[in-house]
Amino acid sequence: MTNATDIAGLPGRRSSHGSELVLAGLGVALACVAPFWLNGYGLYLLTLTAIFAIVALGLNLLTGYAGQISLCHAALFGVGAYATALLTSKAGWPYLVSLPVGALLTTAIGAAVAVPALRLKNLYLAIATLGFGVVLQKTIFEWRSLTGGGGGLSLAPPTIAGHELGATGLYYLALAFLVLGLWGAWNLSRGRTGRALRLIKESEIAAASLGIHIARYKVTAFAVSAFYTAIAGGLFAYLVRYINPESFNVGLSIGFLSMIVIGGLGTIGGSIVGALFYVVVPELLRGIKDAPGLVFGVVLVMVMVFMPQGLWGMARRFLGRR
Amino acid sequence: MGRLAIENVSVDFGGVHALKDVSFAFESGSIVGLIGPNGAGKSTLLNCISGITRPTAGRVRLDEAVLSERNASSVAGLGIGRVFQHPELVLDLSVRENLMIACHRSLGYGLVSELLMVPSVWRREREAAGRVADVLRRLGIADSADAEVRNLPYGHRKLIDLGRALLMDIGFLLLDEPIAGLNDPEIAHLTELLFELRREFGFGILVVEHNMPFVSRLCERLVVLDLGQLIADGRPADVLGDARVIASYLGEAADA
Amino acid sequence: MIANLIVGGLAAGCLYAMVAIAIVIVLNITDIANFAQGEMAMLTTFFAYWLLDDLGLPWWQAVAIAAVFGLVQGVIVQQVIIRPLIGSPVLSAIIATLGLNVVLNSVAGLIWGHQTYTFPSPFAFSAPFHVGGVAVPVTSVVNIAVGLAIILGMTLFLRATWTGMGMRAASQNQTVARLMGVSITKSSAIAWGLGGLVGGIAGILVAPAVFLDTNLMGALLIKAFAGGVLGGLNSLIGVFLGCLALGVAENLTSAYLSPSFGEAITFLVIIAVLIVRPEGVFGHVKVRKA
Repeated sequence: MTNATDIAGLPGRRSSHGSELVLAGLGVALACVAPFWLNGYGLYLLTLTAIFAIVALGLNLLTGYAGQISLCHAALFGVGAYATALLTSKAGWPYLVSLPVGALLTTAIGAAVAVPALRLKNLYLAIATLGFGVVLQKTIFEWRSLTGGGGGLSLAPPTIAGHELGATGLYYLALAFLVLGLWGAWNLSRGRTGRALRLIKESEIAAASLGIHIARYKVTAFAVSAFYTAIAGGLFAYLVRYINPESFNVGLSIGFLSMIVIGGLGTIGGSIVGALFYVVVPELLRGIKDAPGLVFGVVLVMVMVFMPQGLWGMARRFLGRR
Repeated sequence: MGRLAIENVSVDFGGVHALKDVSFAFESGSIVGLIGPNGAGKSTLLNCISGITRPTAGRVRLDEAVLSERNASSVAGLGIGRVFQHPELVLDLSVRENLMIACHRSLGYGLVSELLMVPSVWRREREAAGRVADVLRRLGIADSADAEVRNLPYGHRKLIDLGRALLMDIGFLLLDEPIAGLNDPEIAHLTELLFELRREFGFGILVVEHNMPFVSRLCERLVVLDLGQLIADGRPADVLGDARVIASYLGEAADA
Repeated sequence: MIANLIVGGLAAGCLYAMVAIAIVIVLNITDIANFAQGEMAMLTTFFAYWLLDDLGLPWWQAVAIAAVFGLVQGVIVQQVIIRPLIGSPVLSAIIATLGLNVVLNSVAGLIWGHQTYTFPSPFAFSAPFHVGGVAVPVTSVVNIAVGLAIILGMTLFLRATWTGMGMRAASQNQTVARLMGVSITKSSAIAWGLGGLVGGIAGILVAPAVFLDTNLMGALLIKAFAGGVLGGLNSLIGVFLGCLALGVAENLTSAYLSPSFGEAITFLVIIAVLIVRPEGVFGHVKVRKA
C-alpha cells in the first residue's frame, strides 16, 4: 500500500511519566516529615489541605475530565461527615469502618443525583446540583433526632484499635487516604473510564458512536467523585470535631470548584496545588489588616487572567511539557 | 455477511420533511455513495442509521435487529462505525490514547480493578495497545503514535477517526464527507486504503461525499437524495447521467 | 390570605428577575455566568447612596448618574478581566468573576463598613393599590413595570438594531458574527456594559425593600440564577416569568408546607421541572449541526 505522507519530526511528543513519579514521591516524603517542623495550627492547616485535596481529586474527575459541573459537593462532603460521625458516635462502630461505610452511603446518594443530571448541561446542571445541595443540607438540618439539627454535633476524638487518634495521627490518616486517592485517580484518568470521560466532555455524539454508554459513565463519574468527597468529609468531621449543617453550603461548593480551576482542570497535580492555594493563601494574607478578602480576590482574578489553565497547567507549559 | 436496510424512513423536524419515505438496502462488502445537493437529508440519514436521530416513520434494520429502536451507543455496539465530517478527538491526548478510547468495549474490566490497577488490567491494556499499534501501522501513521493530537495536521486527524471505527469490529462503516479538507495525495491514499480495508475486513461502506471523481472511483453504487426524497439509485455512470440528478445539482449550481 | 402571599411572592420574584435579566444578557452573548453581577450591582447602589446622601443630589439625578456608573463599571470589568480570557475555558472566566465578587465585596466593606443603611425610595410612602380587596404595594408595581420595560428595551435592542443583531449572531455562532463584521470583543463589552446598567437599576430598586449593606445581593444572586434556569435562560420573558414563579412558589411553600424546608421544596420543584424540560419552561434547544 502507499505509505502515508511523511511525518518526520513531529513536535510535542509526550515524555514518559518518570518525572511525575519522582515529583509525587518527593511530595509524599516531604508531607511525611512535615509534622516535625509544624506547630499545632500549621498541622491543622496541612491536614485541612490534604482533606480538601481529596475532594479536589474527586471533583476534578467529574468536572475536569467528564465536564460535569457540580454545586452539591459541599453537601456530599457534609453527608460524608455526618454519616461517619453518626456511625462512629451513635452506632459505636470503629472509626476506620464507619469512614468507608459512610462514604459508600454518600456514593449512593451521589449516583442518585446523577440520574436527573444526565439530561442537563452547564448552568442548568449547576442549578440542579445546587438544588440537591440545598435539599441535602436542609435534610440534615431538619432531621434533628438523628443529626442534632442546627445545634450541630460535637465529636470525641476517634480511636483506632483502642488508641486515641491525636492531631498527628489524623494527619497521617488523611495523608494515607490522599495517597490512595492519588493512586486511584491516576489509574482512572489513564484507564478506560478516564479516556471515555474525556471524549464525552469533547463530544457526546462521538463517544456514543464508539459504543460508549454515556449515562453509565456519567453516573460512574458522579459516584466516584461522591466517594472521594465523602471520605474527605469523614476525615474533616474529626479534624474540626464539631460539625454543623450551616458549614456545608453553596459557598463551600464554589470553593471546591475554584480549587480545581485554580490548580488546573483535568489534571491530577492541579487538584493538590489548588487545595494548597485555597488553604494557604488566605492564611498568608491574615496579617494584612482589613483586607484579606480583597487580596485573595485579587489573587484569584489574577491567577485566572494570567493563567487560565490553572497553576499546574501553567507550570507544565513553563517546563515545556504537553 | 450482513445486510443494512433503510425501510420507508421519514424524518420531520417541526413540520419540515428532512427525509420522505426513503428505502434502500446494501450488503456488507459493498461500497455505496450517498449524494445529493446541500440540505438533501444525507447527514440526517446517517444520523438515523447511527441512532442519533429517531425516524418519524419507517425503520432501519441490520439483519434482524431494528437499529432505529436503539440509542447511538447500542447501535455502535452492533457493529455500525461512524466517521464524522469533523473528527471529534481529545486534543491533549496522544494518538494512541485517542484510539484506545475505541477499545473500551473490548477492554471490559470493572471500575474497582481500574482504580487499583490490578495485573489483569495491565494485561488487557497491553493487548489493546497492541491492536492499536496494528491499526496505526495499517493507516500508515505509526510514527505519530505518541504525538499529541493537537499537533497533527487535519488529514491525520481524519485517519485517527477512521482508525477508531476499525478498532470496533464493525460490519458497516458510515463516512460523512471523508475527503473534505484533504489534499490530493491524501485523497489518493484514503481511496486506496478504503479499498484495502474493505477487502481485509469485509465491511460495507456508506459514504456521503460531494467530490464526484472520488465518489465515482470509490463506489460501485450511488444513491441520490434531493429534498429528502430518493431520486436515483444505481451504478455511478447511469446515475450521474440521470436527468433528474443533473437537474437537482444544476438547481443548486444556479442558486449558488 | 393566599392572594396576599401571591402578591408578596410576585414582589420578591420581581427583585430576582431584575438581577436575572442582567445575568442573562451577559450569559447569552458571552456564555459566561457572571457571579460578580450581584456585587457589581451592590457597588452601583452604594454609589447612588453616596450621591444621594453625601452630595445631596435629587433621587432621579442620582439614579441616572449611578446607572451610567453601572454601565461604565461593566465595560471596565469586561476590558480588564474578561477580554484576556476570551478563548480560555469558560469555567476560568466564571471563577474569575467569583474572585471579582470577593474583591468588590471587600472594597465596599472598606469604604462603607459592614453596617446597614436605609436607601430611600420615592414610592415608599405611596398608598398601596387595591386590586379586588388585595393591597398591592406601589414598589411592587414599579418593580414589575421597570422589569417589563427593561425586557422590552432589550428585546427591541437585540431585534432591531444592527449592533444587537450582530450580538445575537455572536452568541449563536462566532464565525457568522465575524462574517457579519461584528467584533466579538466589542459585543462582549456592550453586553457587560448593559449587564452592569441593568444590574445597577436592579440594586437601586432592591435596596429600599431590604436594608442596604455589602451583602445586599448575596442571596438574591442564587435565586436569580435559579429563577432564570426555571424559565429558560435564552428567553428574557421566560427568565422574568421563571423568577416570578420562584418568588410565588417560595412564599406558598413556606406558608403552607414548612417554613424552613420551603427553600428545599422550591429547589425540588425546579429539579422536577428541569427533568421534564431540560432547557427551562420557556427555553428552546439551540440547534447545532452534528
